[in-house]
Amino acid sequence: MNQSNTFWRVALLALPLSVFALIIIWPLLSSFYYGFTNWNGFSDNYDFVGFENFGKLFSDRLFMSAAINTIIWMAIAVVLPTILGLSLALLIDSHVPGGPIFKTIFYLPICLSAVVVGQVWVWIYQPDWGLLNSIIEYVTNDRFNYAWLAKPDSALYSVIVAWSWQATGLSMVIYLAGLTAIPGDLLEVCELEGATTWQRIRHVILPLLTPATVVVVALSVINSLKGFDILYIMTGGGPFNSSDTLAMHMYNESFKKYLMGYGSAISVVLFLVALTIIRLYFKQLKKVDEIYG
Amino acid sequence: MADTASLGSASGEYVAPKRFNPWPVVIFICLFTLAILFLAPTFGVLLSSVKTTRDIALGDLWAIPSSMYWGNYVEVLSNPAVHGYMLNTFLVAAPATAFSIGLGTLAGYVFSKLPFKGSDLVFLLVVSGMFFPPQVILIPLFRLFNLMGLIDTLWPMIIVHTALGIPICTLLMRNFFATVPNPLREAAILEGANEWQVLTRIALPISLPAIAVLATLQFTWIWNDFLWPLIFTQSDEKRTIMLGLVFMKGQYSVAWGIQGAMSLIASLPTLIVFLFFQRFFIKGMTMGAVKG
Repeated sequence: MNQSNTFWRVALLALPLSVFALIIIWPLLSSFYYGFTNWNGFSDNYDFVGFENFGKLFSDRLFMSAAINTIIWMAIAVVLPTILGLSLALLIDSHVPGGPIFKTIFYLPICLSAVVVGQVWVWIYQPDWGLLNSIIEYVTNDRFNYAWLAKPDSALYSVIVAWSWQATGLSMVIYLAGLTAIPGDLLEVCELEGATTWQRIRHVILPLLTPATVVVVALSVINSLKGFDILYIMTGGGPFNSSDTLAMHMYNESFKKYLMGYGSAISVVLFLVALTIIRLYFKQLKKVDEIYG
Repeated sequence: MADTASLGSASGEYVAPKRFNPWPVVIFICLFTLAILFLAPTFGVLLSSVKTTRDIALGDLWAIPSSMYWGNYVEVLSNPAVHGYMLNTFLVAAPATAFSIGLGTLAGYVFSKLPFKGSDLVFLLVVSGMFFPPQVILIPLFRLFNLMGLIDTLWPMIIVHTALGIPICTLLMRNFFATVPNPLREAAILEGANEWQVLTRIALPISLPAIAVLATLQFTWIWNDFLWPLIFTQSDEKRTIMLGLVFMKGQYSVAWGIQGAMSLIASLPTLIVFLFFQRFFIKGMTMGAVKG
């Protein structure tokens, strides 16, 4: 019996684990290796350059601005989809008529490709006939044609807003799942005790939603690191690299300039950042699990 | 925050006599306004696709059209390149979805029903794979497939999406198999069945809902993917639809109506999957997220 169990473990795990190891683990580890070379993407010859690539990161002005932009993106990703998703979940959870339809509407963007989302939002920001400028013109009754995506001051933030539009639906359904787990009698007791709606939300619902908040915040941060497609479509990191993120900078250095060694060094940084966040996330999940069961 | 704040003082300190309660109406109006704002981008594409480029350039994109113009759809649907893009995307998405679910089922079964010393750690390692940005493995995979001569074929995309799907598929299948009662498996084994028979004849039939969840999620993600085709394809014949969309944007640079029709046609398969299997979709998203 025991022997046959071992046989089946090996037999069933062999294929999935070897595919995973070959396509995910091995490339991950060899990224570190290439980070120490000056490989150009095509030639069979390359040299080891030691820590040169990693040293270059600190003097690379574009890397620094990409790192800052990534942090900005993360910070907004924590705030915007979380608060919006929570508000929508609370509103929908109040048994409002048409709740399921609203849920579908807010969730719909998630099934769209970032390519399509990017393109749609390019039209919203379009200076001459875009929706945003049209609304501003309508309200102020004055000519307005600010090019949101072509100005270094606003390009990054415009993209993040578009990204948040798509990310909000996920936060909302996670919060909705958390809300259904709160026992109805508990809320009834609050009502009988004379708690106002605001007190109920502030002192009962929000604390009980902590596990959902941990998930929402962590996923937002992790997904913001992955934000590449929509940026590529909307600004391509421009104008003048003002909206570059680490993922974008890594792509540019590797596949535009063919500095694959340097690109690998950037991806190593990206990996370490992601690893830190994921470890924090798992730790928080465990803590929350212990408290809330 | 204004939305939640406005909920406050719904039932004040004193017990008011039963009368008209404005809050459901206020909440409905709040949600309705937000819903319109949320739908505006999608609605814009829809509007653009039935207008001529001239109308759009004149600033009429956001107005309800007095007459429908179908020329954009005719143009896109009669373009043979678009047929190729759609076919390629399907040829990548269908097998990669099936393979990743198959591999995830195998791994999920072991992690759930045949745990071993250290299996939790291996499981955690596999699952954490879904959180890393894909840029981390981009360069070595590019080199690998380049050496194998597979660049500019569909194979790298099928292989990579199969592998990238393993974490979420393993996670969901393991969680689902955990609900299959152990005595059921033990009874079958005593009757002389082996693990493969237990998996295919008992566990899998019960797990069809989980497979439906994974199929909708995986198909949507792979269909919508942009990064991997961008790296792995070079010629127009091998492009997937999302890459084709970007490429054709250059070709029809100011033909916004055509771009709108194209976006809609490219999104149609995932929209259909979403509208019909929304329940599965949401379940998968929350399960994958919460139990992660």
